[in-house]
Amino acid sequence: MRQIQSRIDVTAGEYRENYVAMTRRLKEFHAHQHAARYERPRRDLDRLARQNKLSVRERLELLLDPGTPFLEFSTLAACRAYDRTVPGAGVVTGIGIVQGREVAIHANDASVKGGAWYPLTVKKIVRLLDIAIENRLPVVHICDSAGGFLPLQHGVFPDRYLGGRVFRNQTILSRMNVPQLAIVGGHCTAGGAYVPALSDYNIIIEGSGAIFLGGPPLVKAATGEEVGVQELGGAIMHTSVSGTGDYRAASETHAFALAREVVSQWKQPQKAVIATAPIEEPFYDPRELYGIIPKDRKTQFDMREVIARIVDGSRFHEYQPDYGTSLVCGFAHIWGFKVGILANNGVLFNDSSLKAAHFIQLCNQNRTPLVFFQNITGFMVGRQYEERGITKDGAKMLMAQGGSAVPKFTVIANASYGAGNYGMCGRAWDGRTLFMWPQAEIGVMGAEQAANTMADVKIRQLQREGKELTDAEIAAIRDPVLERYKRDVEAYTSTSEIWDDGILDPVDTRNALAISISAALNAPIGDPHYGVFRM
Amino acid sequence: MRRLLEIRGEEFPIWLAHTGKGYVVHARGRAVHCSLTRSHGKGAFLLELDGRSIPLRLTVSKTATFIHLYGRAYEIGRTDPADQQVEGGTGTGQDKILAPMPGVVVSVAAGPGDRVGKGQTILVIESMKLETTLSAPRDGVVAEVPFAPGEGFGLKDILARLAPEEE
Amino acid sequence: MPIHKLLVANRGEIAARIVRTARARGLAVAVLRHRNELTGSAHLIADEVVEVEGPTPVAAYLDIDQIVAAARRVCADAVHPGYGFLAENAAFVRALDAAGIMFVGPTEDVIDLMGDKVRARAFVAERGFPVAPAAIEDDDPTNFVERARVVGFPLLIKPSAGGGGKGMRVVREDASLEAEIETARREGKRYFGDGRLFAERYIERPRHIEVQVVGDGRGNVVHCWERECSIQRRFQKIIEETPSPALNPEQRAEICKTAAGIARAVNYRGAGTVEFIYAPDGAFYFLEMNTRLQVEHPVTEMVTGIDLVAEQLRIAAGGGLSHAQAEIRQTGHAIELRICAEDASADFRPAIGEVLLMEEPQGPGVRVDSGILEGSKVTTDFDPMLAKLIVHGPDRAAAIARARAAVQDYVILGVTTNTGYLDAILAHPRFLAGDVSTGFLAEEAPVLTAPGDDVTDILLAAAALSDVRLVRAVDEIPEMHRLMGAWRN
Repeated sequence: MRQIQSRIDVTAGEYRENYVAMTRRLKEFHAHQHAARYERPRRDLDRLARQNKLSVRERLELLLDPGTPFLEFSTLAACRAYDRTVPGAGVVTGIGIVQGREVAIHANDASVKGGAWYPLTVKKIVRLLDIAIENRLPVVHICDSAGGFLPLQHGVFPDRYLGGRVFRNQTILSRMNVPQLAIVGGHCTAGGAYVPALSDYNIIIEGSGAIFLGGPPLVKAATGEEVGVQELGGAIMHTSVSGTGDYRAASETHAFALAREVVSQWKQPQKAVIATAPIEEPFYDPRELYGIIPKDRKTQFDMREVIARIVDGSRFHEYQPDYGTSLVCGFAHIWGFKVGILANNGVLFNDSSLKAAHFIQLCNQNRTPLVFFQNITGFMVGRQYEERGITKDGAKMLMAQGGSAVPKFTVIANASYGAGNYGMCGRAWDGRTLFMWPQAEIGVMGAEQAANTMADVKIRQLQREGKELTDAEIAAIRDPVLERYKRDVEAYTSTSEIWDDGILDPVDTRNALAISISAALNAPIGDPHYGVFRM
Repeated sequence: MRRLLEIRGEEFPIWLAHTGKGYVVHARGRAVHCSLTRSHGKGAFLLELDGRSIPLRLTVSKTATFIHLYGRAYEIGRTDPADQQVEGGTGTGQDKILAPMPGVVVSVAAGPGDRVGKGQTILVIESMKLETTLSAPRDGVVAEVPFAPGEGFGLKDILARLAPEEE
Repeated sequence: MPIHKLLVANRGEIAARIVRTARARGLAVAVLRHRNELTGSAHLIADEVVEVEGPTPVAAYLDIDQIVAAARRVCADAVHPGYGFLAENAAFVRALDAAGIMFVGPTEDVIDLMGDKVRARAFVAERGFPVAPAAIEDDDPTNFVERARVVGFPLLIKPSAGGGGKGMRVVREDASLEAEIETARREGKRYFGDGRLFAERYIERPRHIEVQVVGDGRGNVVHCWERECSIQRRFQKIIEETPSPALNPEQRAEICKTAAGIARAVNYRGAGTVEFIYAPDGAFYFLEMNTRLQVEHPVTEMVTGIDLVAEQLRIAAGGGLSHAQAEIRQTGHAIELRICAEDASADFRPAIGEVLLMEEPQGPGVRVDSGILEGSKVTTDFDPMLAKLIVHGPDRAAAIARARAAVQDYVILGVTTNTGYLDAILAHPRFLAGDVSTGFLAEEAPVLTAPGDDVTDILLAAAALSDVRLVRAVDEIPEMHRLMGAWRN
C-alpha cells in the first residue's frame, strides 16, 4: 500500500487559523466532558462519602486492567436536556479490558440524582446493551441506582425501547451465551433489581449493596411489615438465604477484585478473522487534523488528508481513483485491522453512488469491515441527475450498504445532511459505532438552507395574504428559525440525544475506531444478503 | 494485574503492563520498563531495567518473593488484592448457626459463656444418617446453645448463637 | 584406647563439622535426630542416624539418659558433645563414664570448676593470674551491696551461674545499684535457677579476646593463639577473627602465655578456651574458661593449620599433643562470620521460614560450616545460627575483602538472615581500622542497619516479573490494547 502524499502546508495561514479554531472548540469540548465526569454538587459527593462508596470513575479503574484503554460512549449524553442537571445521563458506558477480555460496561453514576434512570439514561444503557448484542461482548453492570426517575416515568417505562428493553436485552445476551456480571454497589430496587438477577453472575457489596423489588418504605406502605434494608435485601441475606446473589464482597476493592476473578473464568472468545497487518503509527501527525478541518463548515477539504492521519503508516490503496471522485474509496489498516474506507469529497453523484455500491460489495466479498467518513451534503439534485437516475443509483448504494454483513463504523467528520447520511451509514443503518467530531452537523439539510426553506413557506403565505415584507420583516421571520435550526443540527444536540455514540476529539478517532473494530470481531461475520438492486 | 508488594514493612501498590516492546512496572508513580530473563545458575536471572542489566537470584513462595541482589537478600511480600477474604460482617447472619436440615444434636462442644475462635466446633448434629460439625462463623463468645445432645430440631432452628460483637 | 565409633551428641553445623573430621580419621559416626527436625547436613554424611525423643527437639538433645542410651544402642565408644547442649555438663560426663563410654572433652572436675564462674575466678586469682576487681556474693552475702560499691562504678553484675550474657547488667551509679541487683537476681533465678550474683568492675570499651588451648591431661598444654571476639550483639559474638588487630607481639605472647598457664593449672585435657576482657590500656582480666570446642574455633584452624576436632579425638583416645608450642604459628588472617536467621533491623528478632534457595560461596580461602540444606525449615526450636562462613587471607585487609565477597555471594533465600548486616560490619571504617569493642555494634547500630542504596525499583520490577500469574494476566491482553495503554476518550 502506498503512503498518501499530503499536500497540507502546516505553515499556511489558513491551516493555522483552522488549527486555532479547532483547538478552541476542543478546549470547550474537553471542559464539558470534565464537568460531566467530575463536577457534582457538594452534597452529592458528601452523600457518597457517607455511604462509603467509591465514585463511578474509581470503580471503573478498579475493574479495568491497568494500562489498557477504555472507549467511553456518549460522554455528553443529556448535555442539552433536563436543564443540564443529569451529566452523562447519570450512567457511564463503554468498552474496556478486564482480565484480557473485551467487555461492555454499564455503570450507574450515583453522584447524579442517586443514579436515577432518566429517559436518556435508559437510552444510553439500551444502546450499550445493543452494542453488546451486536458484538457479542460480555457485559459488566455496576449497579447503583435509585430506580426510574418518577416525574419522567412516561419516558422511562412504557415504550418498546425504554426500561423493559434493558432487561429484554439481558435475556437476549444470556440466550446468546454472552456472559454478564453485575456488581451491586448500591440499591437495586424494583426494575433495577432485575439487572443483577438477570446477570449470569453477580456480586453484592456488604453494607452498601442491596437488591429488592420494593424497598423498606414501600413494603411498609404495602403490607405494614417493618423491615431493615439488610434483612430485606442485603448481601448476607441474598448470598446465603435467597440465592439471588452469588458472591458477597467485604468492600468495594474486594468486590472489583472478585469481579476480575469472575471475568477471568469466562471463555476467551473465538474472534472473527479478518486481514491484519503489523501495527504502524500514521506517518502524518494526527494532530494536523486540527488544521485540516476548515473552520468554516462550508469549505471543502480533501478526505485523503484525514485518512492519512488516521490509518497505519498513512498508507491507502485507493479504489477507482479517477472515477466518481466525489467519493474516495480504498483499503487501509487501522491498528493493524484491514478496513475499507468510504469518504466524501463532495456531493454524491451517479458515478460516486455506483462506485460506493460496488466497493461495499468488494469489502463484503473480502470480509473487510467498512469505515465511513462523512462530509456529505446529499445526493446531487436537478433535472439532469434525476434523468440519469440519481435516486435509483443512490438506492443501489443504500441497498448494498444495508445488505452488508461486515461490521460498519461511521465517523461524522463534518456535514451529515439528507439522504447522504443514509448512504454513508447514518444512525439508522446499524453501524457498530458512530462518532461525531465536535464541529460536525447533522440534519435533513444545512441550517441556512433549512431556515430559508421554512422562512420561504411563511413568507409566501404572507404574500398570498397580500402582505409586502421589508427585508427587516423577512429577517425577523427567518433569523429565529435559523438560530433554532443551527442549534438543533449541532453535534452537542446529537450527542445529548444519543443519536451518536459520542463526540470525539479528532485525534482520538484512530483509537476509537480500532477498539470498535476489535470489539466487533467478537461476533462472527456472516454472508451478505442483498435485496433487489434497481438497475 | 495489580499486586500489593511489601518491602521492609512499606507497602507498594504496583501494576504491570506491556507496551508491545516489553513489560512496564508501574510503581511509586513511575513507569519502569523492564524484562527478566533466566541466566546461568540456580535461581539466577538478569533484570534489564533503565538500560541496566542487573544479575540477581530469585525464588518465589506463595506469599513472598525472595531476591538476592548486590550481595543482599530481600524479602518482598506479595498480595493479590483479589485474594482478600470476605471479612465477617456485622449482620445478624453472622451471629447465628441455623440448622441446615432437620436432625438431632449429637454432642455440644462449647456452651454459653465459652470463647470460641472462628472455625472452632460448637456442636455436632446428625441428620440423614450423616454427622455434621457446625463451627463458629467468627471469633466470639457463645451466648446460647438451645438444644442438648439427643434433642431433635427442625430446619432453620437456631442451634447456637454468638453474643453480639462489641464495637 | 582407640575410638572406633563416635556419636555426635549435637546438631546443625557443628555436628556436620565433627562428622567430617571423624570420618576422615576413619571413624564410624552416628548422629542424632528428633522427629521434628528435617534432614540437616550432618544426617547426609553420617554413617548412622539415631532417633531421639522428647516434647521438643531441644529437650531431646538435653536428655542425658536418652543420649547415653543412644550411644549404647549404636555401640559408640565415644561421644563428642559439640558446643552447647551437654558440652559442659559434668553429670553427662559421669553418666557416660558409668556406661563405659568415652567423653570427648575435659574431666568432670574441670567442667565443674570452670562451670562455676565464682569458683573459677577465685581459682585463677589465687594462682596469680589477673582478674578484674570484684565483689563475690558468696564470700559474705550480708555485705554484698557494700562490697560491690567499693569495687566502684561502672560495675558489671552477673549471675554466678551465668553465661552467654544472660542476666548481665551494667550499673553506672550508686542510686540504682540495689534495684539492679534485685533485677539481676530475679533473672539469674529465672535463667539458671540460681540467684547468686557477683559484681566486677566494668571495663569501658572492652574487647573480648580469647585464647585457644589444647592440653593432653598429663600436664602438657599448648596455646593456638588468640581470637578477637569483640563483635557482639546482645553479648553474643557474630564475627571473630585472628590474629587480634589490638595486640602487638608482646601483648599477644603475654595473653597467650597466661591462658596456657591457667589451662596448665587445671591440668587441662582436650581443647578449651580461656576468655579475657581486654581493656583499652592493654590490661586484661580473666573472664571465664570454656571447656569445650568453641563455635569460632575454625579461625584458629585456618591460621594454624591444626584441625582442633582431630586434636580432641586424638587426645580423647589417649594420644598426646600433635604439635609442640614452637611449631604452632599464625599464618595469615582468618575471619568467621556467623550466619544467623535473624532480622538485624528488628532488634535481631529470630527469623523463621524455609530455605528455598541456597548457594554457598566458594573459592580459595573460603570455608563454610553449614547445618542447613535447601528445603531446611528454620524454626525457633534451635539457635538461630545456620552456618559459619570462614575466610582466610594473607593479611587482615585481604581477609576482609575476601569475607565481603564471600558473604555477598552467600545466597540464602526464604528466611531472613544477617548476611547483609555482616557485610555492613565488614565495610564499617571502624572495623576496617580494628577500632572496635564489645559495644561496637550497639554504638553503630544506626549505620549498620541503615537501608542500603535504594533498590526498591529493582525489587519491585523483579517481584512483578517473576509473578507468573501476574505476567500471564498481562499477556492475556490483546496486543493492540496493550499498546494503546490507558487511553481514554
